[in-house]
Amino acid sequence: MYGKLRRFAPTQDPAGDSVVYVPANKDDTISEVLLRLGVPLKEVGSNIFLNWQYSGLNRGVQKGDRLAVFPDDMQLLYKWYFRKIDAEKSGQ
Amino acid sequence: MSSRILRVNMTEGTVKYEDTPEKYRPMGGRWLSSSIVCDEVDPLCHPLGPYNKVVLAPGIVTGTAAPTSARVSVGGKSPLTGTIKETNAGSKFPPQVAGLGIKAIVVEGKPKEEGKFWTLEVNKDGSKLVPTPSNWIGKGLYETVPLLYKEYGDRVGLMAIGVGGEMKMVNAGVCFNDLENRPSRYSGRGGMGAVLGSKGLKFIVVDDTGAPGVEIANKELFEVGRKKLTDALMTHAITKPKGALNTYGTAVLINIINEAGGLPTRNFSSGTFEGATKIAGEAIFEGNKKRLGKELYNHACSPGCIIRCSNTWHKPDGSEHTSCIEYESDWALGANCGIDDLDVIAELNQLCNDYGVDTIEAGGTLAVAMEGGVAKFGDGKKAIELMREIGKGTPLGRILGSGASLTGRVFGVARVPSVKGQNMPAYEPRAIKGIGVTYATSTMGADHTAGYTIAPEILSVGGKADPLSTEKKGELSRNFQAATAFIDSSGHCLFIAFAILDIASGFQGMVEECNGVLGTGWTGDDVTKIGLDILKMERRFNEAAGFTKAHDRLPEFMKYEKLPPHNTVFDVPDDALDSVYKF
Repeated sequence: MYGKLRRFAPTQDPAGDSVVYVPANKDDTISEVLLRLGVPLKEVGSNIFLNWQYSGLNRGVQKGDRLAVFPDDMQLLYKWYFRKIDAEKSGQ
Repeated sequence: MSSRILRVNMTEGTVKYEDTPEKYRPMGGRWLSSSIVCDEVDPLCHPLGPYNKVVLAPGIVTGTAAPTSARVSVGGKSPLTGTIKETNAGSKFPPQVAGLGIKAIVVEGKPKEEGKFWTLEVNKDGSKLVPTPSNWIGKGLYETVPLLYKEYGDRVGLMAIGVGGEMKMVNAGVCFNDLENRPSRYSGRGGMGAVLGSKGLKFIVVDDTGAPGVEIANKELFEVGRKKLTDALMTHAITKPKGALNTYGTAVLINIINEAGGLPTRNFSSGTFEGATKIAGEAIFEGNKKRLGKELYNHACSPGCIIRCSNTWHKPDGSEHTSCIEYESDWALGANCGIDDLDVIAELNQLCNDYGVDTIEAGGTLAVAMEGGVAKFGDGKKAIELMREIGKGTPLGRILGSGASLTGRVFGVARVPSVKGQNMPAYEPRAIKGIGVTYATSTMGADHTAGYTIAPEILSVGGKADPLSTEKKGELSRNFQAATAFIDSSGHCLFIAFAILDIASGFQGMVEECNGVLGTGWTGDDVTKIGLDILKMERRFNEAAGFTKAHDRLPEFMKYEKLPPHNTVFDVPDDALDSVYKF
């Protein structure tokens, strides 16, 4: 967790790692995990990285995944370079 | 009053004003500097010889009320890359030059007497070259620049070269003063400071007191454009007050690019750095808060900037250590060297500014030197010692002051992350392949500001049908590079792109501002065409200088060495790279 979202982690030092361990349920998506933690989605920017990949809120998560979440005042400056991976739509 | 070009002949020691030729009248910034270089400089000239030139061109709207537009482009043949070069900076200097009705300062020739340095004084009464006092030479800029303000006053706009440029080291940049008169804003890349050093020009001091100001052909249209652009900048999450850049500066990217697995670490051997959080924008904000006892938001580097992304870093006693720690400097002197201590990074940054060298290349050089065994990765104390060698001009210092590629050759390092002799900036191309395409194909060498390319359209990801042909991908990449070439010509900071590439009215506003100043009637398509023309002419210069498509490639090791954490290589096919410029 980064920026103002560090408050959802046990340690909040802005120069350190604010890490929360979250048990993963079956079929969890990123947004469901965040909601369970009590993170208001409107404070989350579009900068979410799942296992080092730029991701959308509907992407599925599994046990062992690393989820990095940045707040809305920490924007990815060169977003055109990053392909956002979101949930696969069914039927495609 | 029509605009003029100021020619400074360092062979004769003369200055001359010329009326701006018709074809240059709509130009500014990179468009003008590249045009003059392409028209007047032999692509095969020796960059430190008498036939290279340095063109300093403020942008089209520089010196007006246009927001975030106080920028100057410095152009010439680069002694680092051998290509054409445009490198730009925000400062008090450009609006003062523009306000005096000067479209460009062209520095040409070379004094017969080596080792003598000159100051160019420019004001409403004209210009003249005076010998630089000897106690302003051979010393750090933080020591000499206060002496200069005592002589000329605090109001002046200043261009300077440091000892790096005096010694003609090819990593020497061109320094400009910020709003608080620090010698800290750099047209850093490509060694243009060495070119000025070879011409004996140490300082340009400009004072626009009593100047006529920039002429605006259509004031109403200009105002419409200015307002649209201002609105876009004030509302976009990146550029707005207390947005990402104003709060954390560009260093906000350290944690973000680290989580993307693209932060080049220890000479591009990994895409993540375990010390990233200790040096990121958040850590800078928090560290300053502790040391100053209050929150410190960022400031503007140049007049009229409303984005205000420049930071300062303070020592434990609260005094200022350096301004500013940009993402690129923070990365180059930090993660790329395995250094996780902001006090060390600040000292290295301050030394680069003092000696007048580019921080990106300096960090890349230290990292290559570390790989070559000159120091251990992470040894901040040794890194500072090595940087001081550059200032002293010892043989080791001269090697390090000549950039990463040369240092790699001297120390037998095969893993040198450069293209056309210029070291890569803070994005790993194996993790972020679109940037790799820009590094490979830009006319400037490995450069992150010469143009944006779009990764998703450039790459097909395994298993998905690729919706775009190679030609289409090349066209998209090219149009983005063209848009940024135009922004570099307008005089605006490239950071307006973050807002105007999302907010169409902001882009329109920029075009209307230019039309307002010049009396032209450009559309968005015209502006793209201008950008493409700039790229075409720069490319022709490079071809005549001996560059072929073989040079539009990334270093060999990036094609086979898998980069953690993604464990990918750079596998964009050569024909995709070649398609960028097929037009």
